[in-house]
Amino acid sequence: MSTELIKVTINEQEFEVEKGAKLIEVCREKGFGIPSFCYYGDLALQASCRMCLVRIEKMPKLQTSCTITCTDGMIVTTQSEEIEKAQRAMSEFLLANHPLDCPVCDRGGECELQEMVMDWGDLEERFVERKNAQPEKFLSPIVANDPQRCILCKRCTRVCDEWMGEEAIEAGNRGVNTVIGTYGGWLGCSQCGNCIEVCPTGTLLDGVYRHETRPWEMDQTRTTDVYSSDGMQLSIGSRGGEVHRIVARDRYVNGLNGEFLDVKARFAHGFINSKDRIKTPLIRYKKGGKLIPSTWDEAIHFVGSKLKESGNNVGVVASSRLTNESIFTLKRFATEAVNSNNYAVSDAYDLAPFFDNLSAPLCTHKEIRHAKTILLIGGEPEEEQTFTAKQIRQAVRNGGAKFIVVHDTPIRLAAQASQFIHVNKGSLDAFALAFADQSDATITKKLGAAQTEIDDLLKTIGETEGDFIIMFGGDLSAEAQAVLANVAGSFASDTRRALLHPLPLYNNSVGANDMMAGKKPLEEVLRTSKALLIAGSLPEDKTDLLANKDFVVVQELFETATTEYADVVLPAASFAEVDGTFTNNAGFVQRVRKAIEPIHQSKPDWVIASMIARELGADFGYNFSSTMVFKAIADSVPAYEGLRYPLLKDESKPVQAKYSPVAKRDLSNEFAALRRKVEALPETSEKITETPRVGHKLHRVTTMTGKTDQFHLLAAGNPKPENLLVSPLVQFNLDGTPRLVEMAEAASVNVKDRIDDKETVASKVVLK
Amino acid sequence: MATAVPTDFTNQVVFTEETATFSPEVIEEMRSHLTKYPEERKRSALIPLLFVIQRERGYIDNPGVNFLADFLDLEVTDVWETATFYSMFNLRPVGRHHLQICKTLSCKIMGEPEITEHVCNRLGIHPGETTADGKFTVSLVECLGSCGTAPMMQNGFDYYEDLTVEKVDKILDSLK
Repeated sequence: MSTELIKVTINEQEFEVEKGAKLIEVCREKGFGIPSFCYYGDLALQASCRMCLVRIEKMPKLQTSCTITCTDGMIVTTQSEEIEKAQRAMSEFLLANHPLDCPVCDRGGECELQEMVMDWGDLEERFVERKNAQPEKFLSPIVANDPQRCILCKRCTRVCDEWMGEEAIEAGNRGVNTVIGTYGGWLGCSQCGNCIEVCPTGTLLDGVYRHETRPWEMDQTRTTDVYSSDGMQLSIGSRGGEVHRIVARDRYVNGLNGEFLDVKARFAHGFINSKDRIKTPLIRYKKGGKLIPSTWDEAIHFVGSKLKESGNNVGVVASSRLTNESIFTLKRFATEAVNSNNYAVSDAYDLAPFFDNLSAPLCTHKEIRHAKTILLIGGEPEEEQTFTAKQIRQAVRNGGAKFIVVHDTPIRLAAQASQFIHVNKGSLDAFALAFADQSDATITKKLGAAQTEIDDLLKTIGETEGDFIIMFGGDLSAEAQAVLANVAGSFASDTRRALLHPLPLYNNSVGANDMMAGKKPLEEVLRTSKALLIAGSLPEDKTDLLANKDFVVVQELFETATTEYADVVLPAASFAEVDGTFTNNAGFVQRVRKAIEPIHQSKPDWVIASMIARELGADFGYNFSSTMVFKAIADSVPAYEGLRYPLLKDESKPVQAKYSPVAKRDLSNEFAALRRKVEALPETSEKITETPRVGHKLHRVTTMTGKTDQFHLLAAGNPKPENLLVSPLVQFNLDGTPRLVEMAEAASVNVKDRIDDKETVASKVVLK
Repeated sequence: MATAVPTDFTNQVVFTEETATFSPEVIEEMRSHLTKYPEERKRSALIPLLFVIQRERGYIDNPGVNFLADFLDLEVTDVWETATFYSMFNLRPVGRHHLQICKTLSCKIMGEPEITEHVCNRLGIHPGETTADGKFTVSLVECLGSCGTAPMMQNGFDYYEDLTVEKVDKILDSLK
């Protein structure tokens, strides 16, 4: 879009606008409300709802303002009798088949159609003929569908196609019979739920929140996603201390992700109010005994006395799901309360090699969307960093970016790639060498890709004008990450910016790396410490290292494999119950806000750690307010210098931590280590040719997602029930096996049971 | 009065992974359709290929849809979307004679409801259904482009125009 300014007259007022701007956007920006349903910011144009009609001089008919780009001297009228008449007529058509069942519709109160009809429509219906009535049904365990409420704006089909690249939902049939649906009536997609979010009516509904409460009865709290490292901004809807749903609707929250969320961020909130939460502190007085409920005072006193016995042989392990405040306090606990340098993060992917060699700025998600060339090495963003994946898709599809994938598996995102370098299984390290121009015949052979492919890639990068982004994840070895992060900066030139984007696994992996400067590898800490304070659980394969410890304290939400080894378990508060910050993979420090009071007797992790510290005689200077913790972070972590909560208040203007890039350094040690690793790879290697199943990571049942029943069915392969009119949760056990009795009952439910007889409905209507 | 064609029957499709197979000649014919379009616009060949599938398999069945999705690098839902839009594609098995009665404006004004009622009463089925002997299927379809000779219906690729009840009787007799 050029920045040339042109003159447009709207409602007799003259404005200067950018050439090529969309008329509907300009009108709305200047304060002239224009109703619309099918128009949706970043999506392809549809112009099917005909609500955004305006009069443009010298054009014969009313025009849809969503499809018009501004031209010089355009004279536009947005409000007149003629336009209002057309809009009233349109809303009457939209309501021809739309039942006015707002009192029982989940969307009632935040429905765009409802609002528009109140503003523009004629509430008296003239259409008294038989309506095209169809019953509400299920498209998946998570998506419920009421076809008769659909106004065919096709936002859902465009979102599915353009944002998710899945094309799972489409409009079938024709004319008055058109319905939104799928082949076979069942959604086998990643279940992101973005179709539900963008639906302007109650056609697609949240199957987890369905019929739980009403939108106006909930408190909305803006906060940050607790699953993905993209740091998506979302709004928690809670009522009476219970979290009912999570949305990213722009009336509540306006973050970097717009209205985009993924299946875990949107639906896997069942763990917050789960009945399995640990309610009180638990103490195991004798090894091998039972965990017995106790009071906080007793538990803290007990922990204090036991830790004193262990002296400075205490190790501290923090989960990278915790807030920066908690992780920072845990580090202080290690260094100040127990005078030990044994602290670690229980994250499989250590980001230190990446950040220690950061030779280029971190890129934001907006920069991904407008990048010219994107290089993805390993990782699987469509399953782990879903918003990054969406930005890549749109950069390719709507922005024409070149997208190069280097991977040993043909991941789904590779279908979008302009070049896919399919390397041998486990040989991404060899690619790091080749990319840093350290290649030779052995390396190329182990890599399994021809040198010409690497040359093509370097040629594409060399031709790039604009942003060039390198992203990679934890499936590369530490040395390979160091190499890639350190050579990235050398691709920058006068016309090209080189940017780096890590693909961490957890919501606060980046923050954990910042907070725990000088951390040790997890296994070393677990092996060398006599006593341990663990916040969050360990990866399951590491838990047996806890077997012979003198004393283990675990701060957790649930009883897990780790708590089985614990001598004391302290109930921690979930992300919805604490104030704090998460740092995402773009380095944005974003607020986590308390939506509900900590349930049962749980406390935020940093409060627990400082309570134990006080028992041991160390005072951190903060006891009650996370503001003070964050101030302490800002004072001692260089990248966070000067940050305060008020600066982070506006989620639409996220604040980036200041990472200082390092200069290019001598990498010969890393090269040598990588060369040894590559040479150790097997001589002959077969390539992985199978594309992984949709949702193989997203739908995994974990301690957290497992508390939402729907995820069990998704993990069991999302089986299609016998009858779509009855909830799949009724027809299947959680392991995906059919519940035969219920299924037989469900099979006897038919359409007529769910809608009034059409004839009687027609005869009830009295003509006016 | 006749009800609209039921639209939700595809919900009952039992989803299979099975993919249809075709003889080398048919595959060759399909490839010849592909050559008419640019290589990166393979999906343009969807409609001609749907005709081939229907000819070969009788109707657009699930294995056929899976085959097309593979053949054209589409999602099955894309194939479903196109196939359901056009009334000449049948997503269910149809009788030997597929009577498609035009229900759009001109035909409706010129007496389509009586024609439909008569045909359905005579055959003892609703629109969208097939007779028990598998001989006739009746569908109501959108405009077939013969408004000048309304009301009209189509059997296979043959048009019957300027219909009256007597004419319909004769046609149905001749089709037996």
